[in-house]
Amino acid sequence: MKGLRLNTRQIKIRDGIVAYIIIFISLCFFILPMIWIFYCSFRTQESIFTGKIIASLKGFTFNNYIKILSVTDFPRYFVNSVKISSLVTILSLIISIFGAYGLSRYDIKGKKIVILGIFSTQMFPQVLLLIPLFLVVFSLNLMNSILGIVLTQLILVLPFCLWMLEGYFDTIPIDLDDAAKIDGSNLIQQLIYVILPIAAPGTMVVAFYSFVVSWSDYLIVSVISQSQNTATLTLIMRRLSSSLLIRWGQVCAVATLTIVPTLIIFAFVQKKLIEGLTAGALKE
Amino acid sequence: MDKRKGYFLIIPAIIIMCIFTLYPLIEGIRVSFTDKSMLRAKYSYIGIDNYKQMLGDPIFWLSLWHSLILTGVVVILQLIFGLILAWTMKQKIPGMPIYKSIIMASWVIPVAATVTIFKFMAQSDVGFINIILKSIGLKSLVRYWFGDPLTAFPLIILLHLWRNVPFYGIAFLAAMQTIPASFYESAEIDGANAFQRFWYITLPGIRNMIIVMVTIHVLWTFNNFDFIYLATGGGPVNSTDVLPVYVYRQSWDSYAAGYGASIGTVMLLILSIYLIIYLLIQERGEYKR
Repeated sequence: MKGLRLNTRQIKIRDGIVAYIIIFISLCFFILPMIWIFYCSFRTQESIFTGKIIASLKGFTFNNYIKILSVTDFPRYFVNSVKISSLVTILSLIISIFGAYGLSRYDIKGKKIVILGIFSTQMFPQVLLLIPLFLVVFSLNLMNSILGIVLTQLILVLPFCLWMLEGYFDTIPIDLDDAAKIDGSNLIQQLIYVILPIAAPGTMVVAFYSFVVSWSDYLIVSVISQSQNTATLTLIMRRLSSSLLIRWGQVCAVATLTIVPTLIIFAFVQKKLIEGLTAGALKE
Repeated sequence: MDKRKGYFLIIPAIIIMCIFTLYPLIEGIRVSFTDKSMLRAKYSYIGIDNYKQMLGDPIFWLSLWHSLILTGVVVILQLIFGLILAWTMKQKIPGMPIYKSIIMASWVIPVAATVTIFKFMAQSDVGFINIILKSIGLKSLVRYWFGDPLTAFPLIILLHLWRNVPFYGIAFLAAMQTIPASFYESAEIDGANAFQRFWYITLPGIRNMIIVMVTIHVLWTFNNFDFIYLATGGGPVNSTDVLPVYVYRQSWDSYAAGYGASIGTVMLLILSIYLIIYLLIQERGEYKR
């Protein structure tokens, strides 16, 4: 018995060492690239072009940020991105909260077909939808408008949001609704005062998901946006990194400012998001 | 009365999905039988001519081949590395909570930013990869890694791994944590070795999660457009052309919407076949049990 115990301890130590080696390699692979562009966003063009990893102190500067914030159109694109992503988040929250509540609480005919239908849209190749989408947006007179982009991006997020929230609402006892109903509150009051506080974690996940998917979208924006008034950060990033003389310091600064908002929001909802994402597969 | 309220609540979602997904899908399939161009409003039905043209189009076949290889290789590698990562995160060692909280960062950031990061790292003069290669004396390997037909495709695979492997790891970890510890204890008493424990306890325990992750990522990778379009545009010399990028180029660069739509329809067909096979296997598995 004693021998066995020592043995398991040895295994534990061995496993620990292997784990640390994997952790080290994976951090280099997954995190180093981000640190590298963050680091280079504070270096001058000359410093970057020395081809050295450690730059001399002279090579550091805030100029990249100052330049992109003052000289280029970056602030405008940033504001566009914020506007579009916020609108997508708000609209998808409203639509999916109502929709999921309807699916969860009411005996809707063909409910299964509705859910399956909405979910199967995730399989459609976006590039195929894009041609007719362009025409739909065009005929709605929403070409090159924020609203056109927002409405189109909704299809990227709604299926997940509806599914996620429906699962959440299902876990809330219907007695709570009834109690609120007896107290004389209407549907909106029920949602705001009874359901949403309990479903807050799920709602946060849905909001994060909508924001980040919209923030990251390139495909839809590339077709519907046709001027600086509607262009977003993902568009300018492509333009910057494929021009002839590339100011890498500025590109890194743009990339950093594009990445950071998503990371900050993610830090807040990480745990709930992972729970939400994995819950569906674990239920069965 | 109550029932009507339910419909009323779900209708906005259905309207949006119908206008912006269902209608475009049907319309896209319809357009695939026409000679529609993005340059003119008039077009006519040409039957299956687009599909005939596809059969004789070498770039289509090349893109199809690349798409299948990319999806297969990427998903298999993600699965393997995801399992390794999940095993690592299961170890109770100091620092693990911090590691877990930062490892998903690459999954959250926009694909366009990922591509920008790697484009910068792959530059022949200022790129991180080449600086390292030079410093360890492998100067002959220095190149713009996206610009070389030999290395562009493997680098694209690497980008997919970079983005999704942490998500696999976290998802598998969540599944592993639902397996009761007593299973492992009794296996240990029976003298099962590490591999046997993995094969007979861990793998069946996370089977569902594996199926879900693979299904999601086969669809995601096969349909993914921005990684390749933003990194290489399908080049150099078509060495990274995949179906979504080819459809986009046909419809928006060559303005051949009809032809592009027909390739998109074929993509949809391939995915439908994949899903049908998947459902059949799933059903048979249930039946056996």
